[in-house]
Amino acid sequence: MNSTGVRALPTLFFSAPSPNPSHSIRKTLAPLKLRPPNLPQLNRKSSLSLTSESLKIARERGFGIRCSSGDGGSKWARWVPKGMVAERVLRLISGATSSPICQYVSSPTTFLHSVDPRIKLVWLLALVVLPARSHIVMRFGLVIYLALLSIWVLPKQLWMDQLGRVGLLSGILFVMLGLGSDVAPSLVQLRTPPPAMINLPSLPSSLSGYSYLVMKLGPLQLTRKGLSVASTSACLTFTIFLSASLCLATTTPEKLASALRWFMLPLTAVGVPVAEIILTLLLSLRFINLVFDEVRNAALGIVARRINWQQLTIMETFDIFVTYVRRIFKNIFSHAEQISQAMIVRGFRGDSRNHKIYFLSDSSLGIADIIASLCLVGLISAAILSEVILV
Amino acid sequence: MNIGAVTLPSICSHTSHCAFPVRATASNGVTSPPNLAIEGKNLSYAITARNGKLVPILNDCSLCIPSGQLWMLLGPNGCGKSTLLKILAGLLNPTHGAVYVKRPRSFVFQNPDHQVVMPTVEGDVAFGLGKFNLTQNEVRSRVAKALHAVGMSDYLQRPVQTLSGGQKQRVAIAGALAESCKVLLLDELTTFLDESDQIGVIKAVKNSLDGSEEVTALWVTHRLEELEYADGAIYMENGKVVMHGTPSNIMGFLKERISSYTNRINS
Repeated sequence: MNSTGVRALPTLFFSAPSPNPSHSIRKTLAPLKLRPPNLPQLNRKSSLSLTSESLKIARERGFGIRCSSGDGGSKWARWVPKGMVAERVLRLISGATSSPICQYVSSPTTFLHSVDPRIKLVWLLALVVLPARSHIVMRFGLVIYLALLSIWVLPKQLWMDQLGRVGLLSGILFVMLGLGSDVAPSLVQLRTPPPAMINLPSLPSSLSGYSYLVMKLGPLQLTRKGLSVASTSACLTFTIFLSASLCLATTTPEKLASALRWFMLPLTAVGVPVAEIILTLLLSLRFINLVFDEVRNAALGIVARRINWQQLTIMETFDIFVTYVRRIFKNIFSHAEQISQAMIVRGFRGDSRNHKIYFLSDSSLGIADIIASLCLVGLISAAILSEVILV
Repeated sequence: MNIGAVTLPSICSHTSHCAFPVRATASNGVTSPPNLAIEGKNLSYAITARNGKLVPILNDCSLCIPSGQLWMLLGPNGCGKSTLLKILAGLLNPTHGAVYVKRPRSFVFQNPDHQVVMPTVEGDVAFGLGKFNLTQNEVRSRVAKALHAVGMSDYLQRPVQTLSGGQKQRVAIAGALAESCKVLLLDELTTFLDESDQIGVIKAVKNSLDGSEEVTALWVTHRLEELEYADGAIYMENGKVVMHGTPSNIMGFLKERISSYTNRINS
């Protein structure tokens, strides 16, 4: 709503740019108050007559008219991002996407860089399956192991950023699921009546100190079931995000695609279009960065205009965001069209089987691969043993 | 989209507008004119506007470029340089006229983000080679040579998005060079480059031309200082080829225009 303080008064805005060069873009949109300086509070009738008058002026002089009411009946309006909030959102977008997201880090070259991408893919699979199927100690062990590996392999700026984000996400999940998964009343959960209602003696308390309830915080309680759900979800989230990030940071997209093709090659016998999938994957990995660039550049473009957000109405702010999203999509589609043209010019004729993708990296197994494979076997064995020993 | 030069009508004779010294090269065959790498005759191109009217972009453009030379295509913004280049690359079909371009040909876009399609440098340079049946070693050698020619040998495994605009442009040029094309169509390559990169890229193209007498390049530019590297130049205005000749002739023509314009506004 307009914050000019003039109630039930129409405001005018120029639809054409101001002839005065000193005016900023925003000034052309600034409301022109028609209220004379010493005019007392106007009643509804006078405001209507002023509206028709202003309409007449507008028609004659080619102005646009915007009615604004200061009493603002809608409560939802205050929740819409507006003013400095809108600018902050755009600044956040332009800043957030400029940081590298899961992209290959060529230097410093570490142990993980020299591991064969096929072994890395098997590791990835193991890290997705193990937290869901192993003991809680094993889950937390995996989390600590991955965190230490990130610190060792990635540059400081990168691991701090990634560990921070993934840790925060997993932490929130852990707390919410831990405290929330078992707080519903038992009557809602259980269909069978409690033992006291059917004249059965209550279950005796555990002699070994077992307790289903781990912790109680007022109405919230952390039970064994909650702990199990929370630890599984949080650890799974942490391992999936961090292991994928580690893999992408230490492997070129071409190497990953080559490894994936190696695993998928037998599927060509049953008609799976492996070549097409691999080309699509490579193009996607290239295109993701273009999308991030577009999102960032479009946001920067709006921030650079120095729009006076305070003077915009909600609909105008909303309109800018719609324009922003539209611009992003338009640019992305234009990019896609240009890239398809470039592919045609470079000899691609639409059939992936007739256009070879060369993977130039050597894939001979070395000492790093043997160590990585042994560690993987050790990890899987430890997970199986933990299920047997730590019950 | 039809991009095969084979399907386009070919021109077999020299046209009267080709008034330039032609370096002697071997004949390319029966259907192609001897010594000519690019020839366009009375090319016109128009698009249909929303109101159904035809908007002419190119109007009766004729040009011919001999093999083994670097030619520049100059003209103000919106005069149809890029459209003409896209017609020569086979990306657009002319509404009228005939075109002949030696094959294989390669096109480098003005914006390298539109050209670079693979996530890493070596992968992208090797992408254009996918249409040939080459061994891994041959591909590796071609990629290394092309990257060396543009001074990007140390960036083999670098992700493309971490490169600057100029570096991406070099990768795009390396992709074209690796294909060992007979015709290079280069659209304002130096737009994103600083002065030293600009000279570096021109020299890289010039070197590839010197290496083989069969390679020809048509370079679209706005920068007059690049004319000194050219063997010939074409000047366009309002969708028409205004002048076609040696760089010194074009330079003289442009200087005359500038002085007449200066005199007009000073008088």
